[in-house]
Amino acid sequence: MNDAPVSTRARLVVLEKRGPPFAFQRFYVRFMLWLIGRLLQAASVVDDEIRREVGNLPAGFTFSMRVRSGSAALTLTKHGDRLRAVPAAAVPHPVLSFDFKHIAHAFLVLSFQESTPRALANDRLSVDGEYPSAMKMLRALNRMQALVLPRFVAVRALKACPRISLAEKIGLASRIYGRLIVELLKRPAA
Amino acid sequence: MTKHYFEFSCPVKMVAGFRALEHISFELDTRGASRPLIVSDKGVVGAGLVDTVLAAIATGGGQVGPIFDDVPPDSSMEAVRAGAARYLDSGCDAIIAVGGGSVMDTAKALNILATEGGVDLRQFAGYNNLKRPLKPFIAIPTTAGTGSEVTAISVIKDREEGVKTFYCSPFLLPDVAVLDPRMTLKLPPMITAATAMDALTHAVEAYTCLARNPMSDAYAEAAVRRISQWLVPVLLRPDEAEGRLALAEAAAMAGIAFSNSPVGLVHALAHTIGAMYGVHHGAANSIFLPFVLEFNLPGSRQEIGALLLSLAGPEVYAATPASRRAEEAIDRIMALKDKAHELCGLPRTLAETGSVPREDLPRIARTALDDGTVVMNPVDVTYEGALRVLERAW
Repeated sequence: MNDAPVSTRARLVVLEKRGPPFAFQRFYVRFMLWLIGRLLQAASVVDDEIRREVGNLPAGFTFSMRVRSGSAALTLTKHGDRLRAVPAAAVPHPVLSFDFKHIAHAFLVLSFQESTPRALANDRLSVDGEYPSAMKMLRALNRMQALVLPRFVAVRALKACPRISLAEKIGLASRIYGRLIVELLKRPAA
Repeated sequence: MTKHYFEFSCPVKMVAGFRALEHISFELDTRGASRPLIVSDKGVVGAGLVDTVLAAIATGGGQVGPIFDDVPPDSSMEAVRAGAARYLDSGCDAIIAVGGGSVMDTAKALNILATEGGVDLRQFAGYNNLKRPLKPFIAIPTTAGTGSEVTAISVIKDREEGVKTFYCSPFLLPDVAVLDPRMTLKLPPMITAATAMDALTHAVEAYTCLARNPMSDAYAEAAVRRISQWLVPVLLRPDEAEGRLALAEAAAMAGIAFSNSPVGLVHALAHTIGAMYGVHHGAANSIFLPFVLEFNLPGSRQEIGALLLSLAGPEVYAATPASRRAEEAIDRIMALKDKAHELCGLPRTLAETGSVPREDLPRIARTALDDGTVVMNPVDVTYEGALRVLERAW
């Protein structure tokens, strides 16, 4: 930084005084990744379809959805046909990772302004790992979102909303959120 | 504020047309290379195509290193290692690949080892794991379909691990792609048709799938126009050099299009029956293309309809009501398949391949859902949807 021209140094001082850039987005993305991780963990216990997808993942499977800068991540490990949210440091090299190039891109997706397939098409999100596992995780994520999100939000997040009756949706969503609360009460969040 | 966004890249220099091969010595010279390793396979060498390339380089004052022609039909780790050893032992300084998709894939992977010095190739597997430019690389396709000469991906069979490994990096792209009609004049009619339909599928899927963008659209439209104009004339007159060149250009343009707007459900199904029953990739794409377009109508009617202009020309496009253009475009592709079947026996249905049992369709549908290309399909693909397409294609 000391080697930077005076005008550049002055500009950096101004930017530092403004506070961290994308502060709100950073906070929101961290919270959403935390929430999605726990919801997937709960859904993999409650929902048969998600459990089947998880069961078909290879043994020792680990997954991470993260922002490339390292500012936020959700990390999951497979145990039988269930997923468990763990601290990112526990899995430094996940078998499969979905990486957002920038916090702003993660914010677009996690605030339901851009669907995951659209983010992939727009090169905002890169996939590192085997595609068969990536497809299973995407289907699990989609199913979980279709269950826990109100329909008017889910249609923005997904390419297509699966046909789920209102009674089934309410029943499964209640059990997923209930499970989430039970898990939070059982052990402090990682 | 608009959220429109796309990325597009194609840094490959295209050297295309009459006496294109004679430009190779200049291209080598400008890259400081004087001893290229020739990578090919025995079929291409036996057909005399490598000799044609060598003669063109020699008459241009250039020189070449050894010829490595041990590339198998399905590119393998062993072939990559053997080719790299030949490169390093012979003091080569560039690579010229002469062949189809397998030769191109081998040459790309071989270039990693040639540059990095014989380390374990697997450490570079996956996306963007190369961090510096590789050795000068010239690609000369001998088929007009895969578009490998302009794609940044290499797929290598790893027998030790029992998997096919992907390598994807912009550094894998050739520096130069040479399209010369002499390279495809001797292609048998069946391969000509299958590879052209492969290129047509690349272009149509690039144009109709989620990552389409203004640049990929331009390449896709131009590719579709050339293929619909020249495939039948070339099947009728295989030594039609102008048509051969047009198909080679179309394959490269379709390759550029789908490198920047990835393919969808047609490829997911074609990959699956290719892996399970060995159905030729181009033939499989040809079978599925119109049926997947029917399936995709709810999500991309407008894009499919717009393709009618490139498929049938302005008169037909103008005479067709806007509400009917998508169906007419699909009918045109069906008609092209029928003509190719009549002229060279290219299968139109899964039944005509003679190798896909009908009772396996549910298994194929389930397996295809795990293919990564499904993500880019404009319409969400479920098991029931994939099975419906397979039943139609039967």
